[in-house]
Parts: sequence; structure tokens; C-alpha cells
Amino acid sequence: MAGFFLFVILFICVFLRNMFKYILKRILIFIPTLLVISLLTFLLSVSVPGDPVEQMLSSASENGGKNVLASEQAYIDKRKNLGLDLPVFYFSLSNKATPKNLHEIPKKLHRENLEVFINKYGNWNEINSYYQSVKQLEIAVSHIDKDSSNADALIAVKDNLYKLYINHDDATLTSAKKNIQKNIQIASLQSISAPFQNTVAAYTAMKTKATTWKNSIPSIHWYGSQNQYHQWITKFFKGDFGISYQDQRPVKTVIWDALRWTLMLSLISMFITYLISIPLGVYSGAHKGSRFDKTTTTILFLLYSLPSFWVATLLIMFLGGGDFLGWFPAYGVGTDAIDDSMNIFQVAGVRMYYLFLPLVCFIYPSLAFISRQMRGAMINTLSQDYIRTARAKGLDEKTVLWKHAIKNSLLPIITLFASIFPLAISGAVTLEIIFSIPGMGKTVVEAIFSRNYPIVYTVVMFSAILTLVGNLVADILYALVDPRISFSKK
Amino acid sequence: MSTPIENNEKEQAYWSYVKRQFKKNKRALFSFYIVCFLAFIALFADVLANEKPLYCSYKGNTYFPVFREYGVMMGFAKWPPDLRNIDWLNTKFDAVVRAPIPYSPTTLDPFNSGFVSPFGKQDVTSTRWRHWLGTENIGRDILASLIHGTRIALTVGLVSMSIATIIGILLGALAGFFGDNRIKISRASVIMLLIGLFFAYFYGFSARSFTMSEAFSLSLLKGFLQFSFSILIFIAVLGGFYLLGFVLKIIPFFKTKVAIPLDIIVQRLTEIFLSIPRLFLILAIVAIAKPGIFLVMAVIGFTSWTGISSFIRAELLKVRNLEFIEAAEALGYSRWRILFKHAIPNALSPVLIAVAFGIASAILVESFLSFIGLGIPAEVLTWGKLLALSRGGKSQLWVAIFPGLAIFLTVTVFNLIGEGLTDALDPRQKK
Repeated sequence: MAGFFLFVILFICVFLRNMFKYILKRILIFIPTLLVISLLTFLLSVSVPGDPVEQMLSSASENGGKNVLASEQAYIDKRKNLGLDLPVFYFSLSNKATPKNLHEIPKKLHRENLEVFINKYGNWNEINSYYQSVKQLEIAVSHIDKDSSNADALIAVKDNLYKLYINHDDATLTSAKKNIQKNIQIASLQSISAPFQNTVAAYTAMKTKATTWKNSIPSIHWYGSQNQYHQWITKFFKGDFGISYQDQRPVKTVIWDALRWTLMLSLISMFITYLISIPLGVYSGAHKGSRFDKTTTTILFLLYSLPSFWVATLLIMFLGGGDFLGWFPAYGVGTDAIDDSMNIFQVAGVRMYYLFLPLVCFIYPSLAFISRQMRGAMINTLSQDYIRTARAKGLDEKTVLWKHAIKNSLLPIITLFASIFPLAISGAVTLEIIFSIPGMGKTVVEAIFSRNYPIVYTVVMFSAILTLVGNLVADILYALVDPRISFSKK
Repeated sequence: MSTPIENNEKEQAYWSYVKRQFKKNKRALFSFYIVCFLAFIALFADVLANEKPLYCSYKGNTYFPVFREYGVMMGFAKWPPDLRNIDWLNTKFDAVVRAPIPYSPTTLDPFNSGFVSPFGKQDVTSTRWRHWLGTENIGRDILASLIHGTRIALTVGLVSMSIATIIGILLGALAGFFGDNRIKISRASVIMLLIGLFFAYFYGFSARSFTMSEAFSLSLLKGFLQFSFSILIFIAVLGGFYLLGFVLKIIPFFKTKVAIPLDIIVQRLTEIFLSIPRLFLILAIVAIAKPGIFLVMAVIGFTSWTGISSFIRAELLKVRNLEFIEAAEALGYSRWRILFKHAIPNALSPVLIAVAFGIASAILVESFLSFIGLGIPAEVLTWGKLLALSRGGKSQLWVAIFPGLAIFLTVTVFNLIGEGLTDALDPRQKK
């Protein structure tokens, strides 16, 4: 096998040197493009509001908050487990007031609040001691035994404590502190009185010793390769795409499960589309201006403009249950309707029954598009001189059309074929959501909403790679079909 | 050699030729009229469908509530106490002229809630109050929502494509006109600009991020003001560093000029944008940010400039070698003047095609986004949202058909105009 590949490569090197050079150049250009795309996706995911660690923990267990130290430890462990405890990038561009190890503050909400404090006051030491004092206060509060006399006061204190963590404007903080003070007096919570005084003092110190000038001096912190981006990208190229945040399955299996559906749908629909649209396009292109051509052109144009989510909605309404004809199931892929006793044909039958409506919606827009392209290309080719020559030497119309003209008019269709790759991976988001098909589109959209970064990263990177490769393949195919195109520089 | 005046005359002749060609295409012309009609509806949506009367006389005073609302919105006028909390629909006015559709998209008709059919019986006092296209779940009038939805759809199409056009023309023109080696700047400037970029980003955006986010949370206008201020700082700092570069030029090493490969940069940028599935990118951004119509427009605009830029680039590759550009160069005009006054205007025609198709696709993307409930704020009803309302178990045919038809019609006419322009601008038909 390896020998065969070696032979192919040797063949390309020797006989198609120009092409080889061209491909090599293109692949070299891929690298920076891919890196920028990876950076862009990464940047987008990092700026998503919300805390994935918190989300996972809250979905995993409901007993949080009982022991402050234990739940904090659980948070830190989870964060480390996900690799989110590392700095985000190789370096950070910030100001002199921001410490280099800000990322070591575990909770995202707290960290963001501290960043605002830095922006406001610029004195990290005071800010940090304020933060630590609030933490001490929280621990002290957690040590108080709850009984009937102080239950309400404790809840109020905890609520206001939470406000201290995530608020930065003076008014809110002052009222929160007043509230805590009041509740300490009401329930005579002596044990937290001292830590609370510390907090108040630290806050005053932070406000009075402000050094805002530090904010206007830029500084760059260098972190080296121990950062989230580096870890992710190196693992990605090694084939390790991480685990899905949501259900802890490896991203690879999640994507593979989704890809099967999308691939199946797009391959079947592509096959049917080409089967119908190429003859249709050739025929109407060859009979330009005929009644057949005019009607098909109009119909195809209307089909092309029909929003597929509208058609899907209407199809479900009319044919998928509701008050009209319930011929087809409206949602899903029929997994419940399949059991182990069925043979492969029965399974395929059930699947087709469920996928009929989605397939219709998949096929009609591309059918319209490709037929139109084919027709245009055919008209263009038929006006060429060599077609006139072919006719002049007495070839019958059929041979001219299906032997001479079609070869050249297939050129633009080749480019379209290359665009199937990326389409296959990104899927038809719209239709997959409407028909709830567990394909790529639906998976990614759900991942975007639930901040399941590993899946988003992987899919975006793969679709980018496939688009790049698809374009390259299209260009090479172009050159193979059309000898006029050369790879060497003009 | 053609003088600018001759050139101008030629241009006029060219455009009138294009106009004639376009008018020959009956479908495209008809579509153009439909677009005008839609634009009319969008412009006068408040007059066409409004629960507030156009004119009313109440307790001896005369009011024009629809028009007063514009004043209130802009802060010129205030509602008189009588009208402040008035129930526009059920109050008895002394004299009143109502809008053709006496409902706003926000009006709730409690007697006709729960998907009242346009064909069946409706609980209204007279045909004047009939819901011509029925109502949706909580009693909002479909026709009124459709009319006001036209405004949103067209605005999204226009604004997003304006953003895309500006970016596309700028990038495409730079790439096509200057290519990889026509712009040369000294090493000093390159170095100073790179350093300047760092400082400009820091003082313009990084150091002001808190101020900006505060302003944006207060109001969009304040946020936008702060944002523009940031851009000004950015440009000022960058400009300062560029000027510093002149000092550096004393050293001969820094004086050497290097070519800026603009074409390669723009081509790579295009490739990047084309490689990320557009809908994913839009979804990701919209899912992060707070919902807002402007956000949707901006995101669609910033992700759909690639077609326009490659059109312009290809056109300028041709144009830059034409005689009149050489003539302008010979006359000693600066290259930027030639680019903006001579080259770009002569390359604009294919952009029109891309814009027409782009508007269609922008409207489609917006309706899809609102269909799945993203981007557009909850209180605004758009075509896509109306369509989504039909996706309940019961069959509400009219809620599905009418908004869908509106989307379909708008998308189709813009596509047809794009087609017509393609034909009209095709030089092969000139013979």
C-alpha cells in the first residue's frame, strides 16, 4: 500500500512537476489560513459569556453550597480537568495594573469582576486583599450552624455575600454591606463580625489607595506554551479533539454519530439532484427559448428562491400529521420505530419513510441551482466555434450534444462538486433543526448554545480544512479536464 | 486618450445603456416595481397599520397621534396627559380617522386571540375591524405584523449589504488596484506602524474596554459614541507613530522601500471567511451577544463582503491597465485619487449584481435567525418569527402561509433583479 502511494508521489514529481509545485504551494498557504481560523474560533469561544465549569457542575450535582471549601475544590478540580486553569493564550496584552497570574483566580465570574476593579482602581494588592477578605468572610459564614433563630439572617447574608463577589458599582456594594451588617446585628452572628469588618476595611483601602495611572501603561505578559490555545491546537493535530462538555463523550464519537446522518442525507440528495438536473439542464440549454425551456427555467427559479424552512414548515403541516394528511412522520429519524428483529431492508425502509420530507427539502434548492448552472454552461458551450464545426461536418445533433458539448459544459459543475465536502460537514442547519435530524448542523448549533467549545472548535476546523481541500481539488480537476489551464506561472 | 469630461459622457452613455437593457427584461422590471412597492410599505408602515388614529379629536383638542409619536420618539414632543395611558382602540373619540389597518403589531385583541382564521367568524364589531389575515396566538393582527415586518426585512437587507459593500469595495479595490507590489512604503514606516498598532489598540480599545462596555450597557447611542471615540484614538495614535517613522528614515537601512502584498493579504482574508461556514459564524456571534436588530445587520454585513470584494478585485485587475488610468497617471494625479475617482467608479457595475443577490440572502438569513428565535429582541415581530409561531401542534395555515409568502416574494424579486442586472451588464450581449 505504502509502495503504491510512493509510486504515485514519484509519478506526480516526475511527470507533473508543475502541478506538484502548485499543490505544494497551495498546501503551504493553507497553514497560515488554518491558524488564523483556529485563532478566530478560539477567540469567539473565549468571549462567550457564562462559565462552562459552573454549568457542568450544576448539571452534575445539586448539593453544591453545603461546604464552601469542598465545593470550591470541586470547581478547581473540574476546571483543571478541562484545562481551563491555564492562561488563555501565549501572551496577554494588558496594563501594568493587571497581574500576570490573574487566570489563577478560579471562578470566571469573580475574575471578570476583579478585572473591572482593576480598571477602576488599578491597585492589585488592595483589590486582592479585598477579594481574599470576602473569601474569608464566606468561609466564616459557612462555619455558622444553622438554627431556627438565625436561618433568615443567614440566607440574607449569603445572598449579599454573593453580591460582593460579582458587583463592582459602589451603590450596590454599599447596600449589600449595610444589609450584612444589619443581619449580623439582628441574629447576633458574632463569629463573622470580625471578618466582615476586615472586608469593609479592605474595601475602603482599595478605594482610597487607587493607582489608576497604572492602567494607562501597557504591558505584555508572556506565558509560553502552557496555555489553553496551545494545548488545544497541538492535541487537535494529533487527532485528540477532547471530550464533549455536555455528556462527557469523546468529541470524535459525537461528531462521527452526527456526520453519518449528514453524509447520508447529502450523498443521497446529491445523487438524485445530479441524476435529474444534468439532463434537465442540458436539454433546456440545447433547446433555449422553447416552451419547455421557459417553463422549467421559471419553475426552477421560483424553487431556488423558496426559503427551505418555509417549505419544510408547510410540508410538515400538510403531510406530516396536523389536521391535514398525516402521510409522513414530522420529526426524527425513526430510531424508535426500529428494533433488532428487522433486516437491513426493513431498516432502510423505515429510515427512508422518516427521511422523505427532509430529503425533498434538501433536494429542491440544489436541483434548481445545478440545473440553472448546467443550462447556462450548455448555452455558452453551444455558441462555441467547435460545435459549429461538429455540426458542419454532419454529426447528428445527439452526438454533438452528448459527446462534444457536454464535456466542456460540465466544467462549472466540477467546482460545485468540490463544494459538497464542506456542505457535508456543516450540514443543512435549517433543515436538521426543523426535522430534528441529529446531524452536524443540529449538533453544532446545540453546541454553540450550550457553550460546548470542543465540538464547535472541531467542527469549524474540519469544515475549514475541507473547504480548503475542496477548492484545491476543484482547481486540480479543472486543470485535468481543461488542458488550457496550466499550473505554471504565465 | 480620453479627458475626464469625455469619460464622464461615456459613463452616462454606459449607464443609460444598462438601464435600457434592464428595462427590456420584463421580469426584472416588474420585480423592481415590487421592490418599490415594498419600500413604500416599509416607509409608511406606521401610517398603514397602527392602533393610534391618524387624526383624532378628543375632549375638544385635535391630535395627530401617529405623527406625534415620531416627535415623542425623538424627544421633541410629549404625550398630553389625556392621551398618555389611553386605550387607543376602545376609546370613543369625537372624530377620528384611523389607519387602514387599525392595529399595531403590538396590539393584543383579547376577543380574537388563539389563532383566529381570516376566513372564519371573527369577534369584531364591523368589517372595519376585521383581521384580514387572521390573528396569532395572543391576538396580534397578522397583517399589521407583516406590514411592520417589511420594514425590518428591508432595513436588514439594505444596512447589512451597505456594510458588506463598503468593506468589499475597499478591500477588493486595494487588492485589485495595488496588487502585490504597487504599494511600497519604507521599512521605517512598516516598523513604526506595527509598533503603533500595538499602542493604538491598547489606548483605543484595551484600556477603554471598561468605559465602552459601561456606555453600551447604558444605551446604544452612548456606546456607539464611545466606540467612535475609541476609533479616533486608534487612528490618532497610529498616525502619530507613522509620523515618527519619518524621523527613523534618517538611517539608510530604514529608508529602503518594501512592497506591501495587499493582494495576498486580502485573498487570504477572503479565503478565511469563505472557509468558516457563514451560518455557523453568524450563529456563534449572535448567540454570544445581546439580541438586537443592529447586531444582526452588522453580523450579516461583516460576513458577506467576500463576493463583492472578489468582483471588484477582478474588475480592477482589468481596469487598472486601461488607457484612461494610464492617462490619469501621466497627468500626475495621485494614486489614491485615481483609485477612488477613476478606477472604482468604472468597476462598480458588477457590484450591483452582488448587492441584489446579497440583499436576498441577507433577508433570508435574518428570517431564519428569527425563525429559530435568535438575534431579534423578543418584542419585535418579524416575518421569520411569525412563521415560527405556526409551528405548534394545531394547524394555523394562515400564520405559516402569509409570512412565508412575504419572505418568498421579497427574496424572489431581489434575485430576479440580480438576474436582470447580470443580463443587462453582460458585455457579450452588446453585439
